[in-house]
Amino acid sequence: MSALRRRLVPYGLLLPGTVWLLLFFAVPMYFMGEMALRSGSLDTGGFTFSWEWGNFDEALSGSEEQLLRSFVYAGLASLFALLIAYPLAYAIALRAGRWKLLLLFAVVAPFFTTYLIRTIAWKTILADASPAVDVLKFLQIVPEDGRVLATGGAVVAGLTYNFLPFMILPIYASLERMDVRLIESAKDLYASSAQAFWRVTLPISAPGIVAGVLLTFIPAVGDYVNALLLGGTGQTMVGNVIQSLYLQQRDYPEAAALSFVMMLAILAVVLVYLRLAGTGAFMGDEEESR
Amino acid sequence: MRWLRRNALLLYAAVAVAYMLVPIFVIALFSFDQTSSNKLDYRWSGFTLDFWKDAFADEAVNEAMITSIQLAALSTIVATVLGTLMALALVRHKFRGRGVSNLLIVLPMATPEIVIGAALLSMFLIYGIGLGFTTLFIAHVMFSISFVVVVVRSRLIGFDRSLEEAAADLGARPLTTFRTITLPLLAPGILAAALLAFALSIDDFVISNINSGTTETFPLYIFGVSLRGIPVQVNVLATMLFLVAVVCIALVLWQQRQAERMAAVRPDPEPATTAPGGLVRAPAATR
Amino acid sequence: MRHRNPSTHSRGRAALMALLVLIFAVALAACGDDDNVGGGNESATQVAESGPVRGEITISNWPAYMDTGKDNTVNEFQNEKDVKVDYVEDVNDNAEFFGKLRPQLEQGESGGRSIFVVTDWMAKQMYDLGFLQELDHADLPTVFENLRPDLQSPSFDPERKFSVPWQTGLTGMMVNEQLAPDVRSVNDLFDPKYKGKVTMLSEMRDTVPLVMKADGVDVDEATKQDWLDAIDKLREAAESGQIRRFTGNDYNQDMTNENVVAAIGWSGDTSIIENEDVRWRMPTEGCIIWSDNMVIPKGAPNTAAALEWMNFVYEPEVQADIAEYVQYVTPVAGVDEVLRERDPALADNQLIFPDEEFTKDCSTQPDPPGSAEDRQEVTEAFQDVVTGRS
Repeated sequence: MSALRRRLVPYGLLLPGTVWLLLFFAVPMYFMGEMALRSGSLDTGGFTFSWEWGNFDEALSGSEEQLLRSFVYAGLASLFALLIAYPLAYAIALRAGRWKLLLLFAVVAPFFTTYLIRTIAWKTILADASPAVDVLKFLQIVPEDGRVLATGGAVVAGLTYNFLPFMILPIYASLERMDVRLIESAKDLYASSAQAFWRVTLPISAPGIVAGVLLTFIPAVGDYVNALLLGGTGQTMVGNVIQSLYLQQRDYPEAAALSFVMMLAILAVVLVYLRLAGTGAFMGDEEESR
Repeated sequence: MRWLRRNALLLYAAVAVAYMLVPIFVIALFSFDQTSSNKLDYRWSGFTLDFWKDAFADEAVNEAMITSIQLAALSTIVATVLGTLMALALVRHKFRGRGVSNLLIVLPMATPEIVIGAALLSMFLIYGIGLGFTTLFIAHVMFSISFVVVVVRSRLIGFDRSLEEAAADLGARPLTTFRTITLPLLAPGILAAALLAFALSIDDFVISNINSGTTETFPLYIFGVSLRGIPVQVNVLATMLFLVAVVCIALVLWQQRQAERMAAVRPDPEPATTAPGGLVRAPAATR
Repeated sequence: MRHRNPSTHSRGRAALMALLVLIFAVALAACGDDDNVGGGNESATQVAESGPVRGEITISNWPAYMDTGKDNTVNEFQNEKDVKVDYVEDVNDNAEFFGKLRPQLEQGESGGRSIFVVTDWMAKQMYDLGFLQELDHADLPTVFENLRPDLQSPSFDPERKFSVPWQTGLTGMMVNEQLAPDVRSVNDLFDPKYKGKVTMLSEMRDTVPLVMKADGVDVDEATKQDWLDAIDKLREAAESGQIRRFTGNDYNQDMTNENVVAAIGWSGDTSIIENEDVRWRMPTEGCIIWSDNMVIPKGAPNTAAALEWMNFVYEPEVQADIAEYVQYVTPVAGVDEVLRERDPALADNQLIFPDEEFTKDCSTQPDPPGSAEDRQEVTEAFQDVVTGRS
């Protein structure tokens, strides 16, 4: 193959996918921005482009509570997911032996049934008078006259549950590639199990943790299904507002503006997080070390 | 007691997995519940196989399911192909524009679904494109590509290239090597990526809700009826989906075991050697 | 492991690439369509054509508005008239459905649907925007022969030019008689005793008028301020946690599981709630009567078969099947006689065949008064309460 052709190969491979992503991701993003600057309404002649920066202001004012709440819920969900997922991923990657693949798929398979049905099932399981909630009351986790549904707790629990695989898989992937002999060497050098973990395992799995947290946190901020089904009027998230603006009020410009504001907020939080955690980890541009 | 300490982690794993399966268990359980066609109650009213026998009696459910499966199958194929090609390019070639490509791939994964759905809607509206199966297809491929790239890429990174180099040494042309060596070895990764893409598509609610026009996918249908009362067939079909996933996975596992068995029959690979270049490589079988 | 060192060189390149993408996008936009997204359909209103009945049609309806199991009405129609019917239950919310379909309606297409079923006010909005076809009464003999007299000229469509009722219903209260026996008026839903155990509908034209009625306002004469005051009352109740949530049809699950003991709800849902203690109650101040109507959109294929469907479901025998399943108020006269033979209890059920005495204080579903802007203002205020925005 001539040198020129060889140089063109990667571009050729990239082309179809990149074109698709450009056309159907990048360009729509631009259009959403354009929509955010339109004004008017559907019933009075449609939306016209008019550099209406006021939409951003309108979108923000009144939704601060939802924005804040979304970040808090998503943050908590990511934290809980991390706490639940890490030991699980560790167990599967390093302790499961021949059960490894089976366990891994046992973790992913539930997510073949639809997101909605799983969440509705939780709604049934956590009903005010259900046995599950009775147990929680008995264990004093829930007060006697309290409830689980239509509280922040239920929404966070739903978010945590639904995004667990996104936390487990990256952590598993990074742990799986770890060379176990490193831990052995650490122990040979008189490290305790705990120290070996903190200073060897954890840093190596850091890229997985970072990826997992991002893959959980970001979608969770924009989620509205959990809040819709498991929450009440005091638990609405930004996603619910955007959904209402798009589908009930059909105020597309305001909805687009709010979406942008949300994205910028997420970007800000993510940049801070990556700063603290180290950017190289996320881009994950590990190349084969040859 | 010692057994407990030593296996604490595995026990925890078992409990965690059980927790993840709780809703599935509830869904499956209630698919056997004897109740008039709505399941809203956590109280049990008797066992019946009726709904499994009449699993396909409700036409609306069936249609929605078929639409979802068609959509998922088509978008999976396209997304897997596009994503695999991209992964190959990113891992195996050096070229300019790498950073931007990376960014373009990572961004959709990092954008909340409602924003993606909304952005697509904006574009479709401004162009006056009618919403329906096609727009859904476009959206599903789009959000799946990134995940496919990530999965295939991680598989490619750990790829032992010595077999390919051997083939080249034996005079095989690049395309032949690709077809007969690379692709089959890459297959598990591609398969995993395809499964993931399929799951993402079948599961998708938010993006589909905004961009479906009047086409009904399974999740959209469920959302509609969940408000009034889910036909038990939905529980049955959801359980079926889960079982199909389990079967697929079992097949993959079985195939894996077969491959391992065949590998075991071959003569032992060499112990760790110093390959040209001065790097120590672990024997291939430990991967 | 090699680390990426983004030098200024490649960062500059990344910026260049981003700029190129932006230019590309703007170029695409320039080739794009209207400057104007939205607005109604300007072409003349047409009358739905009748003709030989054959071929296939697609109908969009609300969920659980017809038996979709075996031997259902659709199958009957298909067999008798040799028309293939694709019956889709994709209308979950009027505004949502309209929003999804709008881009196509503006182009003069109906997304393949020959009939949709939407509530009165939505039908009127669609008609005013030019998205519906008119119906010639001559093509609908069975319909107008059997349509109940009190439904022949509703205020939103006095000549029944574009709508034919599918079912009508009453919005009132669903009450768990064991746990909330003394709830008799919508104002009782604001009783702190039931804090967190009460839900209301997210359908503005059901919830707000009921709240106004409970405060003695005549909903047909209400001003915009009356609406906004009622919405303020709701806002307070939502913020204090009195109202657990605003629901669509999903209050059914909450009532079955006794998460909720009293709610604003629709009369036909008692058959869905699997809890014997729950009954629909007529509020002391009266209820809201609404109807869901079959309409034929512009661009609908096979209008002949669509018109035939309308005639078909207005035959008392056929309608009796529907009424039996759905248990809402049927718009067809004479069905009570048919049902009496099958099940007398159904024929005497006030929720299916309410008599005048029962519904004397009820009002038809009102629209917020005033211009389109006024309506938008009221809708926004209500939606803010529903989504918890301050």
